[in-house]
Amino acid sequence: MKPASTLTLALAVLSLLLFTACSEAPEDDGPAPVTYVHSMDGAPKSLDPARASSIYGKTLVLNLYDTLYRYRYLARPYALAPNLAAALPEFSEDGLTLTIRLKEGVRFVDDPAFPDGVGREVVASDVVYSLLRHFDPETQSQGAWLWRERIEGLEEWKAAGADYDAPPPGLRALDEHTLQLRLTQPYPQIVYTLTQGYAAVLPREAVAYHGEGLGTHAVGSGPFRLISVDRTRAVLERNSAFRQEPVSLAAEGFDPAFDEGLGLERIEGRAPPFLDRLEVEFIREDAARWNAFFAGETEFLKLPVAQFDRVLESRDPVRLQPNMAERFHVQAAPEAGFVYTSFNMDDPAIGDHPDPDQDERNRALRCAIVKAFDWPTRNQQFSGGLGRVFPGVIPPVVPEFNPDLDPTSITHDLEGAQALLTEYGWNAENLPVLKWGFPSSVTDRQLFELFRGYMVTLGFPAEKVQPLVYASFGDFLRAFTNREVMLVTTGWTLDYPDAENTLQLFYGRNASPGANNGNFDDEEFNRLYREAAVLEPSPERTALFQAMNQRVLDECAAISGLNRRLLLLWSRELAMQPDRAFVGGYFFRFIDRLTPEVP
Amino acid sequence: MSLAGYLLRRLVHGAALMLGVALLSFTLMVQFGPDQTFELLGKNPTTEDIETVRENLGYDRPFLMRFGDWLSHTLRGDFGVSAANGEPVGPLLGRAFPITLALVLPGFLIGNVLGLLLGMLAAWHRGGAWDRLVLGGSVAGLSLSFLVIIIVLQLLLCTPYGLNLFPTRGWRVDGLGSYFYYVTVPTLALITVSLGYNTRFYRAVILEELGREHIRTARAFGAGGGELLFTHALRNAAVPVLTRLLYSIPLVLVSGSLLIETYFGIPGVGKIAFDAITSGDQAVLLAIVVLTAALFVAVQLLADAGSRLADPRLGSS
Repeated sequence: MKPASTLTLALAVLSLLLFTACSEAPEDDGPAPVTYVHSMDGAPKSLDPARASSIYGKTLVLNLYDTLYRYRYLARPYALAPNLAAALPEFSEDGLTLTIRLKEGVRFVDDPAFPDGVGREVVASDVVYSLLRHFDPETQSQGAWLWRERIEGLEEWKAAGADYDAPPPGLRALDEHTLQLRLTQPYPQIVYTLTQGYAAVLPREAVAYHGEGLGTHAVGSGPFRLISVDRTRAVLERNSAFRQEPVSLAAEGFDPAFDEGLGLERIEGRAPPFLDRLEVEFIREDAARWNAFFAGETEFLKLPVAQFDRVLESRDPVRLQPNMAERFHVQAAPEAGFVYTSFNMDDPAIGDHPDPDQDERNRALRCAIVKAFDWPTRNQQFSGGLGRVFPGVIPPVVPEFNPDLDPTSITHDLEGAQALLTEYGWNAENLPVLKWGFPSSVTDRQLFELFRGYMVTLGFPAEKVQPLVYASFGDFLRAFTNREVMLVTTGWTLDYPDAENTLQLFYGRNASPGANNGNFDDEEFNRLYREAAVLEPSPERTALFQAMNQRVLDECAAISGLNRRLLLLWSRELAMQPDRAFVGGYFFRFIDRLTPEVP
Repeated sequence: MSLAGYLLRRLVHGAALMLGVALLSFTLMVQFGPDQTFELLGKNPTTEDIETVRENLGYDRPFLMRFGDWLSHTLRGDFGVSAANGEPVGPLLGRAFPITLALVLPGFLIGNVLGLLLGMLAAWHRGGAWDRLVLGGSVAGLSLSFLVIIIVLQLLLCTPYGLNLFPTRGWRVDGLGSYFYYVTVPTLALITVSLGYNTRFYRAVILEELGREHIRTARAFGAGGGELLFTHALRNAAVPVLTRLLYSIPLVLVSGSLLIETYFGIPGVGKIAFDAITSGDQAVLLAIVVLTAALFVAVQLLADAGSRLADPRLGSS
């Protein structure tokens, strides 16, 4: 082959490679689209509403699909608003039947799943289908637990073969725009569950057409439509057919004390979404996420703890350094959840014991460990000192939180802890071996070493505090679900702003493989839980919640807890109030750029 | 033995090797890999939920049956679906492969060409100042962590802390301009990390050639430095050079792109491999392992054929 023809061939191959590597087509001429580039510290695994279980997946799902209800943009405490539903549900007198009217004229986005590729109207049977899908074994849903044993006939429907053409009596479309749910018992959190990504409404045609492909396709009626998604980013565009509902800032809970100065006033009276294009970058590595944000390639950042000192002038109150403040807004947002360590009550070395004397000694041992745990240091070293340590398991982000609760359980009291051990006859020889489980990671290892340090100070020989290291988080989950781990440290992200969601972590029926990973099974707690579970929010219910919280504290069932605060930074060129709490992502539809000026 | 016969024999060996790799990797992943069951379950799962997920993942089936099924599908080009999002693995890797190739090709080529030139320079001035300078630089390059190189280059070239000329991440290539915009910093990182290894290797190869009798003879006939290096030494070093180049390809494509793609947010094979490793996505991991083994076999065949063509004496031995 002559050199010239070799060169031509090489160029042809290179061109082919370049064009194959192209991820997007060139854009048309015209006014630049209003674009916002968001960053997240992880990537969604699946965009199928039934399987999108992470905050990353849910954030996208809630922008691609509609849910019946949503949270108001700015209202704190969180308040519900109709989304696809026309109004809040009508409850029957016994609280067991909900009737929900749907907005008319809402359409799914165009997709090849529909005849001629044109999206059709969203109707009540789509909601029925979307909820039933969680109970179809084919779906492998991760959200079924929200409605299991709550809706009449669901389990029977599943057992009878999951025939969508014969829905259960508790879930019916009365007509095209009316839906009825019949509950097995009062479920005060039911409306909250209908804000979740799991409750997103999708058409049956999409499941039939895309099948497993729904993990990377979306056929919804949300404010945005999916253009592309891969392991590094998702690109969404405005759903031009999204219903026109002008914003009322007052109705969305605008509070000048918190929201003034963010430019939010410009969205008053206008119909969202305001962005033409939404790009979401998935950047797990802290350094890369910071570099992209600082270089202006992304416009939002959840600040890594390691960067706090570089960015902040003051932590209390949170204030940016002047050069940063010129470019960015900052918000210290309480995380909707908490971190805690539960004792495996199934382990007779530290938990429940058939011998009442030993049982009491074990309780004293747990209480001594709780007392010896230094929460302020933990908060300082791992959460930049921004978190809020609180006693018990009702965190500050729910309305039932009691700020006046006795702080003894979170007060570092080494002398008291040592006295307790001595009183109950514990010494270096007879103390049990403590096994602290964690998935392999540097941070988890550091947390273990911190704990070991506390225990050695308390009087444990160092070799009696041992790590149980697991290769992955899945392996760790398997181990504590199989009740193999003595001390389980996890974080719980709340599903809705109601203390029931954290108290169920200690309900006996939810013991492993359920979310009660400490297998706490206290008769009194269980009785109170059952009593409170059917009550609407009220002072009576709050009193029951507080009593349950006290049972956990009295039994020293957990070392708890820390409500972390996230530092959120975003560009001053944007009008927005970001939020990662609960379901995350509803705020995207309200984001606007400050330029151009609104006419 | 004829070249075709020889290659056929190597192909049979290669197939056996691939089967061994497949069996070994399948065994390792099934026996020691992360259990995905609990990652695919929601909160408050029931025992029935756990069993259903295990059944769907095939965990309840005998090992040999699982291996047989997987192998028969793989031989038909069906690598299954990603456990993470249900996406078929074949198209997933098919989309990612051209991106990885376009990403690593410039760094691979430039890194080797530069390494070869520096190796020749050092070998020609053996023991002199140039040699010491090149070797010192190589050792410095070898000592640097790839991760550190990436972060420093990002800071220097992609952020307002430095020149802020290139993007910190992404791959939005729609033409030659954007290609250079996105590929430059990853290419510099690849060159920096590979140059030390390449230079030392090529220096050793050229040095060996320069010590041979035919070079002395050519020198005695008055051949100049350029002719000695490029015509006589390089041509005779073609076999080890070619072998190294070809054998580097699978490594560069998978391991080389792993960190680069993860840190630069590029949706190539390396990023997919990284995610599959961290999430225990067996279907994706197995496909990558088997395809890498296939690439090794193909490269081995190419290297053998190339070596025989470059040096016909190899065929007679």
